[in-house]
Amino acid sequence: MMRDSPALATALAIRARELTKRYGDMLAVDHLNLDVHAGEFFGLLGPNGSGKTSTIHMLSTLIRPTGGTAHIAGHDVSNDGVKVRAAIGVVFQESALDRNLSAAENLRFAGLLYDLPRAEIKRRSDELLALFGLTDRRDKPVASFSGGMRRALDIARGVIHRPQVLFLDEPTIGLDLPNRKKIWRFIENLRAETGMTVFLTTHYLEEASECDRVAFIKSGRIVQSGPPHELVRRLGAFVIEIEADDTDRIAAELAPRLGHAMMDGERICFRFNGDAAQLAALQTEFADRIGALRWRKPNLNDVFLWVNETSADCESPAHTPSRDATLQR
Amino acid sequence: MTYRPILAVIEREIVRLFRQKSRLLSAMVRPMIWLFVIGAGFDAMLGQGGGSGGDGASYQYFLVPGVLGMSMLFGAMLAALATVYDKESGVMRMLVVAPFEHYWIVVAKTLSAAIAAAIQAVLVLILLALLGYLSKDLSPPLLVAGIAATSLASASTGMLIAACTKTLDNFAVMMNLVIFPMFFLSGSLYPIQHLPDALRIVAMINPYSYGVDLLKHALPVSGSVNFSTDFSLGLNLAVLLGFSALATAIACARFSRETAYEPLIHMLSRKRGE
Ligand SMILES: Nc1ncnc2c1ncn2[C@@H]1O[C@H](COP(=O)(O)OP(=O)(O)OP(=O)(O)O)[C@@H](O)[C@H]1O
Ligand SMILES: [Mg+2]
Repeated sequence: MMRDSPALATALAIRARELTKRYGDMLAVDHLNLDVHAGEFFGLLGPNGSGKTSTIHMLSTLIRPTGGTAHIAGHDVSNDGVKVRAAIGVVFQESALDRNLSAAENLRFAGLLYDLPRAEIKRRSDELLALFGLTDRRDKPVASFSGGMRRALDIARGVIHRPQVLFLDEPTIGLDLPNRKKIWRFIENLRAETGMTVFLTTHYLEEASECDRVAFIKSGRIVQSGPPHELVRRLGAFVIEIEADDTDRIAAELAPRLGHAMMDGERICFRFNGDAAQLAALQTEFADRIGALRWRKPNLNDVFLWVNETSADCESPAHTPSRDATLQR
Repeated sequence: MTYRPILAVIEREIVRLFRQKSRLLSAMVRPMIWLFVIGAGFDAMLGQGGGSGGDGASYQYFLVPGVLGMSMLFGAMLAALATVYDKESGVMRMLVVAPFEHYWIVVAKTLSAAIAAAIQAVLVLILLALLGYLSKDLSPPLLVAGIAATSLASASTGMLIAACTKTLDNFAVMMNLVIFPMFFLSGSLYPIQHLPDALRIVAMINPYSYGVDLLKHALPVSGSVNFSTDFSLGLNLAVLLGFSALATAIACARFSRETAYEPLIHMLSRKRGE
């Protein structure tokens, strides 16, 4: 693959080595190693409290690593904070806007902080407001914006200085499906236009399948990483879902044949690499004891489910919106 | 760091000042309440005839520099403390990811709070002039110096507290434990020289006293000995500017150190309601 060529390996947008953050006894980020290439769209996925925000805050120089090193576009986050911050844009989990100012005033404030000339700020904000569909709201106070509009403006705010690397901490959280799609379209357009590196965290795993590469983080450790299609392929050919009253017994009974079962709410899930004939046989065999048996292609949600179950120190199951809830929204 | 980010912070503070009508209104009304309720009350109680100054001067006129100073003390402190307390606005997040050293945030915030305070002082000054409370012996250069130095000292006090405060939700506590004592324990309400020893020492430690005194130099009560100033001009300016520089330096150091701003960033990045 092109990415692995030595020439491109030097063009790392983000490079973290043994990056660690400790809060008292708590290891929030645990010896993290990470390489993100220039122009790459990278997703960091994990449950609540797994260390995603702490990682972003260390990479964006807002908190100091307890150990390890990290470089952004070649600048050390510990010693060269100003240069790192000049190279990045950050869209925080929480909005970074002044609610009392209008959309245009917020963008102007942000632009001035990056020392852009006023005429240039005016030009870029008009462009960004148009791109994010906010032109007719430019002079309205942010307090009057909907969640979706606020997010869009927040992202516009994060890119007004054309950063090389954009950090997005759960950019679509709390948004409905149309708004989430809109946000992704903006980011897609931005990437196409500027080629900027995007480092994303999200709970909505369907969205992460657009990433070039994802990493699953759990209790501060990366437990699996790779291109989404690769991870999905590695998981197995199919996922079987079984609904039944007596889930525990059926899971135990099938384990020798299908391997470790995963409980996803009311359903039992198995990874399956066999063929349709085997499935049909299974269906006949259990026909009168189960409510439903379905099989389907695996997706990133399944990878996430299995990653969480199989990694050693499991705590509470991942906060991942259940598949149906997410898909139907 | 060049001038644009600092201008941006100042510009925003001024826009906010004029947009928050109630803030501006209370900045105008608060000094007037002291002047008319307390000032007129004392004069009435002590007998307007002889004047409460004992030498024919009215206490109300003595209060004029104090209430002018008050507009700056409150204006600057509220603006500076809002730096930390304004959780609703994500402005601090914008500032901490911007490409300059974090101590510039303190400098920019101090300047903007001082300028907001000076604007409020000028408005109060106009109001005082219209009501006929400005001394005929007023000295314009000293007034300019007094407003500038008092605003700056008040703003740096506010920023020092803001930079040292970790919890974001005791605004009222600050108001009662810092702003009011600074006001009461200055020469605003009584000449420092007439205070009992303990209070006089406290007043002499309070940097704000020197701001009020500088304003007394600028707005002298004609012909009153008892209502004269307490310190020399030079001492006032030296204390105010020295204190501002020191407080700002400490606030910068506090804010640049990881431990000082990390909890702030943590809090800023939490989802509300969690
Ligand atoms: N300032 C802090 N002091 C103490 N503990 C902290 C601090 N910041 C984060 N933590 C802890 O570190 C862990 C990782 O937190 P972090 O915010 O990085 O998780 P996250 O993956 O972003 O979670 P979420 O999905 O909820 O945003 C959590 O257990 C959190 O409680
Ligand atoms: Mg987070």
